[in-house]
Amino acid sequence: MLVAENITKVYKQKTRTGFFKSKYQETTAVSDLSFQMEPGKIIGLLGLNGAGKTTTIKMCTTLLEPTSGSITIDGLDAVKDDRKVKAIVNMIAGGERMLYWRLTGKENLNYFGHLYGIKQTELDNRIKELLNEVGLEEAANTPVEQYSKGMKQRLQIARGLINDPKYLFLDEPTLGLDAPIARHLRGYVKQLAQEKGKAILLTSHYLQEVEELCDEVYVLDKGRLIKHDTPKRLTASIFNESKLHIWLSEIKGNVKADLEQLLIANEARLEVIQTIEHGVELIIKTKKEITSPVLNLLSTHDTTVQKLFVDEPKLEDAILYLAERRAV
Amino acid sequence: MREWIHLFIAELKKEHRNNFHSSLIYFSLLIWPAIGFITAYYSFKPFQLDGSSPLSRFIDPDHLILFLLTGYLSYIFFWSQVQSAWRMGYERQSGTLEIIFLTPVNRLALVYGRSFSTLVEGVWLFFVFVMLTLFFVDGIAVSSFWSVPFALILLIGTAVIWGGFLNTVFLFSRDAGFLYTILDEPMSIFSGVRIPPLAFPIWGKIFSLVFPLTYTLNIMRKLVMEKAAFSEILPSLAALLVVLLVLVIATAIIIKKAEQHLKKTGNMVLF
Repeated sequence: MLVAENITKVYKQKTRTGFFKSKYQETTAVSDLSFQMEPGKIIGLLGLNGAGKTTTIKMCTTLLEPTSGSITIDGLDAVKDDRKVKAIVNMIAGGERMLYWRLTGKENLNYFGHLYGIKQTELDNRIKELLNEVGLEEAANTPVEQYSKGMKQRLQIARGLINDPKYLFLDEPTLGLDAPIARHLRGYVKQLAQEKGKAILLTSHYLQEVEELCDEVYVLDKGRLIKHDTPKRLTASIFNESKLHIWLSEIKGNVKADLEQLLIANEARLEVIQTIEHGVELIIKTKKEITSPVLNLLSTHDTTVQKLFVDEPKLEDAILYLAERRAV
Repeated sequence: MREWIHLFIAELKKEHRNNFHSSLIYFSLLIWPAIGFITAYYSFKPFQLDGSSPLSRFIDPDHLILFLLTGYLSYIFFWSQVQSAWRMGYERQSGTLEIIFLTPVNRLALVYGRSFSTLVEGVWLFFVFVMLTLFFVDGIAVSSFWSVPFALILLIGTAVIWGGFLNTVFLFSRDAGFLYTILDEPMSIFSGVRIPPLAFPIWGKIFSLVFPLTYTLNIMRKLVMEKAAFSEILPSLAALLVVLLVLVIATAIIIKKAEQHLKKTGNMVLF
């Protein structure tokens, strides 16, 4: 298990104040952050740009040292036992850098594999398996400079798995990927956690991705933790109502009055009734699941339902709401 | 040891594929140093190098070609290391440096692996040229069969250690570019590639001690041109070993301190 306790990272930045003069300014990138990563679980780190997500990942992967606080991974201290920690963690970042472009995909993986001291026979098998998994087996012997953006990103993913890490840090892993490949990757990440028991930390600007994959999310704002929960509970803590959209051919007799009574009894309310082409649209805001009683009521009044859907609040809405509220 | 060997091989393969993708580069690997050598040789030609020449006290005019060949061969060994270190800057820009430091690889093995691979790639063609030329040159005077192999092993070892030190400096400093200028012409002049350091004024002699190439070249010429026995090169060898030990210790300390510093500042990704 990875346990980060009260980690803070303060950067000292040099700012020029004149031709020969400069002064140091302190910037707090992460402040008093605590979280845990467990085997088989995916956690999400969310926040707007500059929230401290990448700094947190770099501290967990030993590329940065926390100014205060501690990170222990399977009982190993990320600062004192950094070499041992490096062997069991890896990071995959979005973008096209971090690869040798003149080397082929296979050569890149072979080189990085050697940096982990993996024996050649084992490395050959792992490279074959990973290239197959990320769909690059046919481009294995093509120089990376001839890869598309998506192919480079897939190679990054294979590179990040070359040491079969127990703890995997994904910093915008689907950045620039086509929708089908991104979907395949999401499935693969899920599989890595569920079937191979890897502990995964994910940051992504695609909040749908986070919602789909993460068991828990940590929301950061200017380096501080402002929310921690499951995506569903976090969304519900901000938006506790869902919207029920119902399209009817017409509203007969006292349907409206009966419906309003039912809604009041269920702590719901009819927000909108609007005439649309070939009928009427009802929008009901509710805290409870009331689809079934509403449909029963409509059927007793012989009202035909043309279409119905439940608009659940999304994690994206919750994060945007938090961001807007913080900006005010 | 096995880790080091594996890493050396991996570095060799990677550096070869990364830097030697066009066969034209092999042309420059030979032509460039050969031109340097020929230029040096013909720049001596207009001058009288007989017994009345002040330089004849330090170079036997009959063995000028051999003197320059050994000088240029050794210089190319060391110069290839400067180029290798210079390329470290690109590793920062491409982000591969950060990925390398994400791994538990032995940092010393990495820098020495890199300098060794650059050495092999960068000098082999000129090395072959020099070896072939030596067959046709007079003046080789060795005391024993081991003199030439020993001189070459010493040259390789010194260049790799020197390269490891330079790689480390360039690895962690974004502003080490000035070394490129310092280590080009001054190293060529003061290490005794073209003129022996003994011919320099005092300040020049002191300055020449900065470069490990000076010590290596001194031993190499003693072994190959002056028929020196092992006991005769011992003082120079001891001085060289002290210099190398200082370089290895400095490299190990710089790597450790600099990595700690980069972890604090986060400058590894800056370029």
